[in-house]
Amino acid sequence: MKTFSNRYIFIYITVMVTIIALLLTLVSLGLKPMRENNQQIEKAQQILKAAGYGKIDKKEAIALFNEVSERDDLNGEEAYNIQCADGTQGHVLYVKGKGLWGPIWGYVVLSDDFTTVKGVVFAHKSETPGLGDRITEDAFQQAFIGKKLYDKNGNYVSVRVLPAGREGGISDDNRVDAISGATLTSKGVDEMLQQLTVDN
Amino acid sequence: MKSYLGPLNRDNPILTQTLGVCSALAVTAQLKPAVVMALSVTVVCAISNLIISLIRNTIPPRVRIIVQLLVVSTLVIMVDQVLQATFYDVSKMLSVFVGLIITNCIIMGRLEGFALSHTPGASLVDGLMNGLGYGLVLVVVAIFRELLGSGTLWNHQLIPSSFYEAGYLNNGLMILPPMALILVGGLVWIQQGTRKSSEK
Repeated sequence: MKTFSNRYIFIYITVMVTIIALLLTLVSLGLKPMRENNQQIEKAQQILKAAGYGKIDKKEAIALFNEVSERDDLNGEEAYNIQCADGTQGHVLYVKGKGLWGPIWGYVVLSDDFTTVKGVVFAHKSETPGLGDRITEDAFQQAFIGKKLYDKNGNYVSVRVLPAGREGGISDDNRVDAISGATLTSKGVDEMLQQLTVDN
Repeated sequence: MKSYLGPLNRDNPILTQTLGVCSALAVTAQLKPAVVMALSVTVVCAISNLIISLIRNTIPPRVRIIVQLLVVSTLVIMVDQVLQATFYDVSKMLSVFVGLIITNCIIMGRLEGFALSHTPGASLVDGLMNGLGYGLVLVVVAIFRELLGSGTLWNHQLIPSSFYEAGYLNNGLMILPPMALILVGGLVWIQQGTRKSSEK
């Protein structure tokens, strides 16, 4: 077998890593506009879904989103006013938090008076397929529709994600069932929603 | 010529060498992600085989695994970026499994076992065939799982709604990972069984 000096090995790897770094930078920069466009479309689709528009085709999502919504930041956080599919006005708030394996985030659509949830969408970076990633499924997200942010005495509780049997005195108007098998991701959603700030 | 076709049957990476099983179980619930995954692995396997074979005489043996990993991970990151730019929804479905192609034993196995000691042309074909052999199993498993588990193929409804009205139900077990393992096991059984009889 041919032998190679340490010097050769060192230079070989250095040159190789440099070439690879340049190559990856070029690819990443070259595809960036397409990636960002896809992310914009996805965001528009998600918010429109939360606002009750159902699944909108990729090609129409951004146009429709621009038509029915306007940006109106709240407390320095990204937020939008939106006309919901049922004709009422709503507010879209951005939420972000921690799942089990990585970040989770989503958009919450609230009624015009900031008391009732009209819809939610959640997304995640790397939750467990089949368990934690079920927060992106319709069955889980639809459970939030109509939930209240305030309890019967008018105290702010947000919407809690708690398993049945461990409600801790939270009424069903303020609670959504946690996902069994995904305790920590559910807890992440719970904590994320408690950070929802609606005070103007 | 016959040995080139080995990976499609007798030397199939999944069925005979039991490599790459993890991703084969994870991405086969639907046909579309399975095909995209199969193509991604084929591209990475073929091109990395070609590159390693081209530079095989310059690679210092002491750092050859590092060099192989550099080449494979560069290609995988590029594939991931291209998928995010072009097939955004599929790339989200595949989530972590695109990145995990880096650790797919089929690719490292072909680099170590073939590309380091063969000419570029033969290595390219070998990588291509092994990728296709892997893809073939993925596609077969995915066809069973999507058709029986969701009643669709490539997201097109194939089982008529009259069947559902007559009481037909999708097999929920099909879309869970255990059923993928059982199907792969069945394929191994069929393949081993037919091989024995042909070699007697």
